[in-house]
Amino acid sequence: MASFAESGPRRPVVESIRVDKVSPGARATGAVRALIVLLVALIMLIPIYVMFATAFKTRIDVTASPPKIFFQPTLEGLVLLFTDRALAAPARVQELQQLEAQGKLNLFEQLALASGQEITGPSPYVGRIVNSLIIAGASTFLSVLLGVLAGYAFSRFNLPGKDDLLFFILSTRMLPAVVVTIPLFLMFRQVGLYDNHIGMILLYTVFNLSFSVWLMKGFFDEIPREYEEAALVDGYSRLQTFFKIVLPQSVSGIAATTVFCLIFAWNEYAFALMMTAEKARTAPPSIPSMIGRGGVEWAAIAAGSLGFLIPVVIITFALRKYLLRGVTFGAIRQ
Amino acid sequence: MATATVESSVTKSRVQPQSAQRQLSDRAIMNLFIWPTLLLLIAFNFFPLFYSLYLSFTNYRATATTAPVWLGIENYANILTSPDLWQAFTTSGKYVLFSVALQTIIGFALAMLVRGKFRGSGLITTLILIPMMLSPVVVGLFWKLMYNPNFGYFNYLIGMGQEGSLDMIASRMFNQPVPNLALAAVILVDVWMWSPFVMLLVLSGLNAIPDYLYEAAAIDRASSWFQFWHITLPQVKPLLLIAVLFRTIEALKSFDLVMGMTGGGPGNQTELVAVYLYRVAFLGQFRSGYASALAYIILIIVIAISNLYIRNLNRAKGA
Amino acid sequence: MFSHNTFGRLTLVLALFAILAIAVACASPAPAQPTAAPPTAAPAQPTAVPAQPTSAPPAASGVKEIKILWAQWDPADYLQQMGNLYEKETGVKVTVVQEPWGTFGDRFFTAMAAKSTEWDGVVGDSQWLGQGATSGYYVDLTDFMKSNGIDTSVTPATLQYYGEYPAGSGKYWAYPTEGDADGWAYRKDLFDDPKEQAAFKAKYNRDLAVPKTFAELKDIAEFFTRKDQGLYGVAIYTQKDYDAITMGVENTMFPWGGSWQDKDNNVMGVVNSQQNIDAVQFYKDLYDCCQAPGLSNAFFTETNDAFTSGKAVMAMNYFAFFPALTNEKTNQFAKGTSFFPNPAGPKGDRGAALGGQGMSVISFIDDAHKQAMYDFIKWFASEKNQAQWAALGGYTCNANVLKTDTFLKAQPFNPAFAETMTFVKDFWNIPIYAQLLTVTQTNFSKFIVEGQGTAKETMDTIATEHDKILKENGFIKSQ
Repeated sequence: MASFAESGPRRPVVESIRVDKVSPGARATGAVRALIVLLVALIMLIPIYVMFATAFKTRIDVTASPPKIFFQPTLEGLVLLFTDRALAAPARVQELQQLEAQGKLNLFEQLALASGQEITGPSPYVGRIVNSLIIAGASTFLSVLLGVLAGYAFSRFNLPGKDDLLFFILSTRMLPAVVVTIPLFLMFRQVGLYDNHIGMILLYTVFNLSFSVWLMKGFFDEIPREYEEAALVDGYSRLQTFFKIVLPQSVSGIAATTVFCLIFAWNEYAFALMMTAEKARTAPPSIPSMIGRGGVEWAAIAAGSLGFLIPVVIITFALRKYLLRGVTFGAIRQ
Repeated sequence: MATATVESSVTKSRVQPQSAQRQLSDRAIMNLFIWPTLLLLIAFNFFPLFYSLYLSFTNYRATATTAPVWLGIENYANILTSPDLWQAFTTSGKYVLFSVALQTIIGFALAMLVRGKFRGSGLITTLILIPMMLSPVVVGLFWKLMYNPNFGYFNYLIGMGQEGSLDMIASRMFNQPVPNLALAAVILVDVWMWSPFVMLLVLSGLNAIPDYLYEAAAIDRASSWFQFWHITLPQVKPLLLIAVLFRTIEALKSFDLVMGMTGGGPGNQTELVAVYLYRVAFLGQFRSGYASALAYIILIIVIAISNLYIRNLNRAKGA
Repeated sequence: MFSHNTFGRLTLVLALFAILAIAVACASPAPAQPTAAPPTAAPAQPTAVPAQPTSAPPAASGVKEIKILWAQWDPADYLQQMGNLYEKETGVKVTVVQEPWGTFGDRFFTAMAAKSTEWDGVVGDSQWLGQGATSGYYVDLTDFMKSNGIDTSVTPATLQYYGEYPAGSGKYWAYPTEGDADGWAYRKDLFDDPKEQAAFKAKYNRDLAVPKTFAELKDIAEFFTRKDQGLYGVAIYTQKDYDAITMGVENTMFPWGGSWQDKDNNVMGVVNSQQNIDAVQFYKDLYDCCQAPGLSNAFFTETNDAFTSGKAVMAMNYFAFFPALTNEKTNQFAKGTSFFPNPAGPKGDRGAALGGQGMSVISFIDDAHKQAMYDFIKWFASEKNQAQWAALGGYTCNANVLKTDTFLKAQPFNPAFAETMTFVKDFWNIPIYAQLLTVTQTNFSKFIVEGQGTAKETMDTIATEHDKILKENGFIKSQ
């Protein structure tokens, strides 16, 4: 927090006297509430558990009926996910089996051999995750940055035609993407942004901008103006108040916007499929591509989806403090 | 990059020398803050938007070598008189209405529940957010597996595990067709996935409510119901409306989830207007002119609905 | 929302649009420079719209790599292995670019609409021939194939369906690469079980054997459908999103003697002929009596899954997806699994829905790359290499290779495949096929899965709508 917050007219809230916190039995209702939340969370996570379990099931176990809760876990899914394989000719299988007997095969190679396959190399999945990290990361940063700036301006300044501009910004998200795909494709090829990291970063930034601007404006609107005004009177410049007063207060909003923008950019599928080929392709289009080899490779899809989920969960978890924090200025009196 | 120079020159030209010192810098800051966003949006939307508007008045296939043929409003007329499309619009209406309403209620309730801190509340809240973090394509795929009456978990969890008793995707129960069951299945998944979105936004709104409001209410011995109705709800409303606004826009446009789960079937039961649009715009058809016209009709509907919301939003803030 | 001076605002915004458009147009290449270097030099150059006339040396020598687009599946891996052989022999690298099935078509056609030179060749669906030929995406291969004797090396049916457009014109646009059609997998272990055989004989007064007709198939399906044991007669296609349920219904339509059109492309009275109505009714009856549960939106993966999980005794599928059923790792019943071709209809007619693809040359690439593609196809089409292709697991269309013992014995389903390829038929392949397909998909799904209407109503609707679409687009000559 900025130094102003400490030196300024802050009256720290030592103890809340909100009704819901002091009424009799608040503790008991709190426990009940925690229990309900836990229950809801568990129900909502069942499909995630299924995904997790599926990632370690053999194909036969996945299609067992009734569905298996307990099963012998296998790493087959990971093999499918991280390697490219080819069916080995019978002669080659014998050769490999000899190598296996000599203990010269690693775990993945052994698992592949068990289904008569030979690993030919790593799969493109890893490279695509890296692309996803670059593209989603950079575009999230850009869209949050621009969203914070524009959101603040729209919230605090009285510019002419503000509502129309805001509506224009919102409307860029209204046209179904399906229709703009082909013109965008033509444009990208013309400008040299096709299959290019910068192109994808800009595209996702644009895709998220309307959301981040609106959201940040919403958050800024919630923050009382009194502090800024006080600071301005005290001789702070507008930029100083923005950086030292407003930004610290809007951390919770910035965190939420970051999480949302990241999720959208991270999971975007249609543009990634159409606007990239090999160089800049992200992971989402490669997850469903594990279908279609004579049966759904559920384990690989599940493992791929989970692996793809982990970075977002980590980032959200890291930001949870800010996501859930109340605005500390709440105690200001008017 | 290029934008920076353009935008700074714009800034300079807009500075009015006679303004007071503060006024002037405010103006500069405003321009500096807003124009990068506007320029980027314009750069990326200008060509696609106007090109597809033009195409919407033509007969054109993106995959054909023939140039677009001017049709006037024929595409629009065809769309508005097509019974299939009216049905698709109705389906979309049901879909958006039910899924957004349920998300709002569940999301709001969840936010109220996790609002008060308790041991592990941060962890649980983060866990609840997970469905939203998944890729819609994967979600569609996995729920198809969940709903499978053979080896899916869903039927067992709701006590319909007996074989052949329930097939959500086929809209059948006990081997009899049940209308709208497949649509309900799709809505359920959408609600599962996006309620956390509403929850997180509402939660942010709740956290921003100044405590003094509650303190004042406590002094007046106001009931919890009164507090909810007169403090919580009005204070959260702006962010809640933004959440609902974006969910509505997204739900009207979304097709990947449905495409992955039901393909619009059985029959036309889950053929949302966005699914229909995807079908005519891609999937071998590539009727770009017709698809553009349909997209613009969807755009107009979205604009109309958004306007209703925004009017409400402005009123909420005015109050 | 749009307040007082909306008009003024809009004008401002539009003016900005215009300024920006000019700015973008002038400055466009600039932002692209930093990392815009395309992955492989010449073919991906964004500005190279039509073929850059032969500045490159005319012979294949100038081309170091060719790229061929295909869907992501095992046969594409086999083609890559053929490509590796080719590289060893000639030094020209062959890269098979694989895109997921669901979006293979979207990806290809979007790129073609922008005259992309991303790929030199494509192994495209038989349905794409009309589009590829009339829109100028494919190079006309007629002379090339005739002068090299390639047209006569493949079976006539495959040449017609994978290569020729328009039907009967004698113009070829693709080399039949991966032949494919629908057939059936069945649980031979159950068929061979003496107890089952005795019970079946007692009930139907004939031996339990591979069905020769659809009537027999239905008897067997009903016989094995035992809900209390979780066992069902069949797993058939029902998926709505692209073409699955139509392909499934075709497997009964064609053996019933039905068709999609007559010689003049007329559909009224053809689509809604009695044969077609009966065939659709049969498909629906089969779905109602014996379909494994959960297969209401099913295509190749789902029918295979139903089979491997022991739910379905007989599963309809493309031959290309049967390798997964002979592999013990992916099918616990692999040892007891065998295959049969699509049975005959009530009057003994044969027919089956066609899958498979032919290899075409993209017309936007320069002549040197075209020559490199020709060279590869010529090499690939030779009998020796087609035998190699078949040995890897590719479904050759080469007439001689199909007849060899080596081929017939290579896989347990190869005899059924060779037989099927003599009577396959296909859906429309004109440029507007997808519009016709949407009609059949919706109406079949409505009748068979959703259970609405009758077979006659379904086929009448399809006929009417097909007639309208074909007339609008000039495919039916007006009387």
